[in-house]
Amino acid sequence: MKSPPSDNTSSAAPSGRDVEPLDSVRSILLADVRRSIRELERRFDAFQGQAHSENESLSGQVGDLMVEAERLRLLTRELDNWSRDLKPEFEALRRKAQADSEGLIARITPVLSDMVGRTIRNSPNEMAEALGPVMGEAIRVQIRDSRKDMVEALYPIIGETVQKSVAEAVREFQRNIDSQLKRTFGPEGFLRTATARLRGVSAAQLALRDALPFSIREIFLIQRESGLLLAHSHPGTSEIVDSDIISGMLTAIRDFVKDSFGQGQNEDELDEVQYGEQRIIIQSGRAAYLAMVITGVEPEGLRARLHTFVSELHVKYESALKQYRGDPATLPNLQPQLARLVTDIGGGETGPKKMSLAMRWGLAGLGLLGLLLIALACFYLQFTIALYPMAFPSPTPTNTFTPTTTPTATSTPTFTPIPTGTPTFTPTPTFTPTLTFTPTFTPSPTLTFTPSATPTPYKAFAARSVWVRPSPDFAELRVDVLLVNTPVKVLSVYDIWMEVEWSDGAGYHRGWVPAEWITLREPVPAERVTPTPTQ
Amino acid sequence: MPSIAQKKICLLGEFAVGKTSLARRFVEGRFDDRYLSTIGVKISRRVIERSSGNLNLLVWDLSGSDEFNDQIQANYLRGSSGALIVCDLTRRETLAGFQRYADRIRAVGLDIPLVFIGNKMDLVEERAISDAELQSVAETFQSPCLLSSAKTGENTETAFLRLAEMMEARG
Repeated sequence: MKSPPSDNTSSAAPSGRDVEPLDSVRSILLADVRRSIRELERRFDAFQGQAHSENESLSGQVGDLMVEAERLRLLTRELDNWSRDLKPEFEALRRKAQADSEGLIARITPVLSDMVGRTIRNSPNEMAEALGPVMGEAIRVQIRDSRKDMVEALYPIIGETVQKSVAEAVREFQRNIDSQLKRTFGPEGFLRTATARLRGVSAAQLALRDALPFSIREIFLIQRESGLLLAHSHPGTSEIVDSDIISGMLTAIRDFVKDSFGQGQNEDELDEVQYGEQRIIIQSGRAAYLAMVITGVEPEGLRARLHTFVSELHVKYESALKQYRGDPATLPNLQPQLARLVTDIGGGETGPKKMSLAMRWGLAGLGLLGLLLIALACFYLQFTIALYPMAFPSPTPTNTFTPTTTPTATSTPTFTPIPTGTPTFTPTPTFTPTLTFTPTFTPSPTLTFTPSATPTPYKAFAARSVWVRPSPDFAELRVDVLLVNTPVKVLSVYDIWMEVEWSDGAGYHRGWVPAEWITLREPVPAERVTPTPTQ
Repeated sequence: MPSIAQKKICLLGEFAVGKTSLARRFVEGRFDDRYLSTIGVKISRRVIERSSGNLNLLVWDLSGSDEFNDQIQANYLRGSSGALIVCDLTRRETLAGFQRYADRIRAVGLDIPLVFIGNKMDLVEERAISDAELQSVAETFQSPCLLSSAKTGENTETAFLRLAEMMEARG
């Protein structure tokens, strides 16, 4: 314990009288200080006591901790001992587990297989969803790591798939060819053959060509600079929905290709884009371009046709096409022209290709010519058959001439050639409608006759087509033909012959024909009948 | 013949200013964004109703990448009736794109309405371009300037409709 601080403010001892006031002043001045000092002393004592007690407490705790540490040290030592003891056992167990893993797998596999199989059966969709991403990734990794193995594994499947696809395509091709061949040998076939010939190809080439059908799916007319759609046509049912966006993208692609590959220096442009079986044929003009989406083999002359179409369009509407800024009112309706172009090209999705008008007329003309030739051939055949008996008479001919008053006359000549060359005539003295006579004679080159001098017309007509001779003798040359039903005038009658006259577009004709082929509308007067030599 | 009026508009701006996001907000897209990185353009469409009738807006979203040279972009710009030029409010350097793309449009001989857009207005804390600066550039071209956010959709529609209105006024 510290003693209170001494008051050393005075250097000399004061006198007794002065001490009291001084003490009073001192006590007044130092009272607060003394109080503070005492308070500090009290606190110090309290702190000292507390520190002491805490020190004692800490000493106790340290002792406890030391005991605990000792216990842990012992425990650690014990654990080390256990570890040393267990290590061989653990090693033995590990070895055992490793050795028995195959058995473990064998025991677990059936359980797992059963679980997976049951899950697939019960929840196939969930299983597919769960395995899908993993499968994709697994295949990707497998292909990356062992491409060769994967190729070998997949080859049978892919090979078979490709084979199947090719076989199907070939079958389809074959079906098309069969269909074409059937059509070729049908009534339509002759027309197709004629068409093929007209087009300068064989029917087989045309059939093969038609087996690869050409069709137009879409046709766009697009403003060249902006890519705005000017007109659009789709002959089939498959319309591209965003035709205006397609137009824009196609234009962007054209520009991109031109700038990338042509550096924008030359005039070359993208004129075709191919995607699978579809192709986009592009025909450019100054203000607009045409894009035609097609499938199959394009017909010959398609590009030229498109070029002509675009050129004609520019001739008519170039200003409108160029100045179009999106207002439809400023643009002519070009859709019908596109539709017409599609029809002209014949690339509709259904129906065979149509022929041009000129070609149709040509074919019609050919058909008519063919019919005419057939008719002529028929006539010639009929005529030849009809005249055959006269040209080559039978050995025992008989001739029956039976003129009647009715306009129809029937006569059946019968010839009896006499080898001696002596003619025998049995003519009727007069020629009456009811007269029936059967002359038998042998034509002789020396035979003479005198026909009537003045021809008088008597109405008659040819019962059949018949050869005409310059004189009444079968030995004479056939100089003309009298066609069936031709009206004639009978000028005279001699024996079985009639001299007839008729006219047609070429003028008047005259000559002798066998009377049996002439049907009289009125009887011939007797004076027009020349008597036979025996008369 | 198209049944309704159609207008081609272009979206221009530096790389990553949010052009594609703005377009995606506005249109019903069909094509993948890959087209932007392959041929430098992606085209979308939206039909909007106007007092004068329906209008088919074909939005050509042009790549801001330097991979696509000026010539290709010039080709893509041809035939446009209007353009939206976009900058990123959080990147000061993209403001220069306003001038650059507007000049490019003039260079191909187009005198079309322009709308300037300061995009990403939702990133207030990161903003690096002031309204006054935007306005100053826009006034140079006597064109409106809008703040937008493709993220929140704020003013996106307005910007396109404003451009449509200006195009209609031009006829």
